[in-house]
Amino acid sequence: MSLKKSILKITAAAVVSATAGAATAEVLFWSTQAKPVEEAQAMREQVLAGAGDVDYQPNDGGPWLTRLNAELQAGSGSIGVLGALHGDFSAMDPADLVDLDGVAMSASDTFNELAKLGTDNMQYIPWMQASYIMAASKKALPYLPEGADIDALTYDQLIEWAGNIKEATGEAKFGFPAGPKGLKHRFFQGYLYPSYTDGVVRTFASDAAVTAWEKMRELWAVTNPASTNFSFLQEQLLNGDAWIAFDHTSRLAGAFNERPDDFVAFPAPAGPTGRGFMPVIAGVAIPRTAPDMEASKAVVAHMLKPETQLATLRATNFFPVVDVELPGDLPPAVQAAGSAVAKMSGSADANPGLLPAGLGALGGEFSQLYTETFERIVLGGQDIRMVLDQHKERLQDIMNESGAPCWAPDAASDGPCPVE
Amino acid sequence: MSTAATDMPGNTRKAGRYVYIAAVVLLCAWVIVPLYFLLINTLSSPEAVNSFPKSFIPEFDLGSLSFFANFAGMLTALKNSIIVAGLTMIMSIAIGAPAGYALSRFDFPGKELFRMLILLTRAFPLPLLALPLAVMFIRTGLDDTAFGLALVHTTLAVPFAVLITFSLFSGIPIELEEAAWTLGCTRLTAFTKVVLPLILPGITASAIFAFVISWNEVFAAAVLTIENRTLTAFLLQNLDTSPLHLKFAGGFILVVPALIFIFAVRKYLFAMWGIANR
Repeated sequence: MSLKKSILKITAAAVVSATAGAATAEVLFWSTQAKPVEEAQAMREQVLAGAGDVDYQPNDGGPWLTRLNAELQAGSGSIGVLGALHGDFSAMDPADLVDLDGVAMSASDTFNELAKLGTDNMQYIPWMQASYIMAASKKALPYLPEGADIDALTYDQLIEWAGNIKEATGEAKFGFPAGPKGLKHRFFQGYLYPSYTDGVVRTFASDAAVTAWEKMRELWAVTNPASTNFSFLQEQLLNGDAWIAFDHTSRLAGAFNERPDDFVAFPAPAGPTGRGFMPVIAGVAIPRTAPDMEASKAVVAHMLKPETQLATLRATNFFPVVDVELPGDLPPAVQAAGSAVAKMSGSADANPGLLPAGLGALGGEFSQLYTETFERIVLGGQDIRMVLDQHKERLQDIMNESGAPCWAPDAASDGPCPVE
Repeated sequence: MSTAATDMPGNTRKAGRYVYIAAVVLLCAWVIVPLYFLLINTLSSPEAVNSFPKSFIPEFDLGSLSFFANFAGMLTALKNSIIVAGLTMIMSIAIGAPAGYALSRFDFPGKELFRMLILLTRAFPLPLLALPLAVMFIRTGLDDTAFGLALVHTTLAVPFAVLITFSLFSGIPIELEEAAWTLGCTRLTAFTKVVLPLILPGITASAIFAFVISWNEVFAAAVLTIENRTLTAFLLQNLDTSPLHLKFAGGFILVVPALIFIFAVRKYLFAMWGIANR
């Protein structure tokens, strides 16, 4: 009996002590970005230091969305500010996000238009941007094909380069983020397809796409086969499993910051239809259930201040979306990535693409389709024409169901983007 | 002749011993080697973590650990984890043990079905349940409390608590209880004076199980708590995208409290496996 009593006592004490501490007037910043512990720490200590009482909580996509949906359904919540990628926001109902016109603005009209999510008002504010680039260990440089300029590589030269290394060292040293958390689909959507077919959706099953996938097979032949486990190429660059790598700028940053003298960053390669590349945009938004709307808007405005944008750049390796002079003492990763991105977008054959837009909740399925195409053609060795024809219908279904019009580099369309 | 005859069994016994020792070493290595590597890499500088081959002697670089020492909210999260796991332990035993006793001592219609149904609570993936649960918790005010999260973890742990205690009670002959009744005990006192001391070690073991289930659970914790995050929800989600040396240090921090807890209660665990308090 005394056992029972003491159990009750412990339970009561625990409940009380657990519920104490809560109920502060902090603004909860619920984010899918700046997740790595070091970045989260920098967000809290540097970026949000002058923003008042902000509780920065980075999450995996699953819990992030589940919690948000729960608060929206319950009609009340604790999330004050949302931080996520454009794709996360475009999968949401714009009515669940507070209109943010006049709170802040990015310098890019394209980004501002994307942030309206098809409505007339700003549903989120562009917050920071990044891209995907190439990086290489300096050990790989002697193997560059003759006459190749590292800042203006073609896919053929890249394949030859990686082939030279394989021949000389006996090991395939190209690293590709094909792991479970790797961002391989963005390579196909923003780099391979635009560079070979000048499109993403319209040209999905074109003859040029067949050539693109043949090149992908050639590239895979000189790619480290363990790439199916690689998700953050900075690790493989640092431990030597990869000498040349393609990845998100912030997923390469660790290598440059740790051993700045050992690595070089350079633009993505070019194909017959130009040097395809793609931006990454993260935004900040406010859910309609935010407990303190004014405080939330103040945090959003704070994120777009030039000095905050610079602090964000140092913390996350994501670049500013407002006009701001970059100081000279930035971390090595930022300098390397910044110049590679500048060369990429400034190159004569640049063929910039946009993020998939208007897909709504089908964005995940869209990306999955490209990943499966890669798995069947390159990993499974299935016939390219057959796989593309089979996936073509699924792609058309996705486009029809979402009603998404074409985005660059595909030619504009009336109504859903057609798969030709 | 005679020496050869005595040698033979001696050799087999020796060989048997070698196999036995080898098996013990292998099993220990199975558990200890990964933990040891975790420790070495935790105490290594980032360069050493990324290099190969690995040294077997840690270089005692405390950089990675001191990063976490300054990481805001770690201690609160650790405290929350312990509170939630403790509550889960208590509640799952308080609910599970009586159910296990009833299942083993009484015959009632639908008993077999009930045993099946208990397991069914594990049939629904948590990401599916988390949304309606979170909505309900927000409406009832249970949201973001250790108690609310412990309720969820209890539903996860109860099936095991019921099944473990059911087999424990079944292992104790009803005759013991009957004897106690004839000697003047009521049903309750017979239980507390005779049965409970016999199964206490087993109950502790299933409590440890509940503790571990709660300690390791991430999804519900990440959705249902915000200010009062548990250590796993707080750290685990962020670790998978962190640099390697911080992954090791974070993993080490997640493992150590659970190891200490299990070490502290190990004699009860051994008791369940029939090795008396050593």
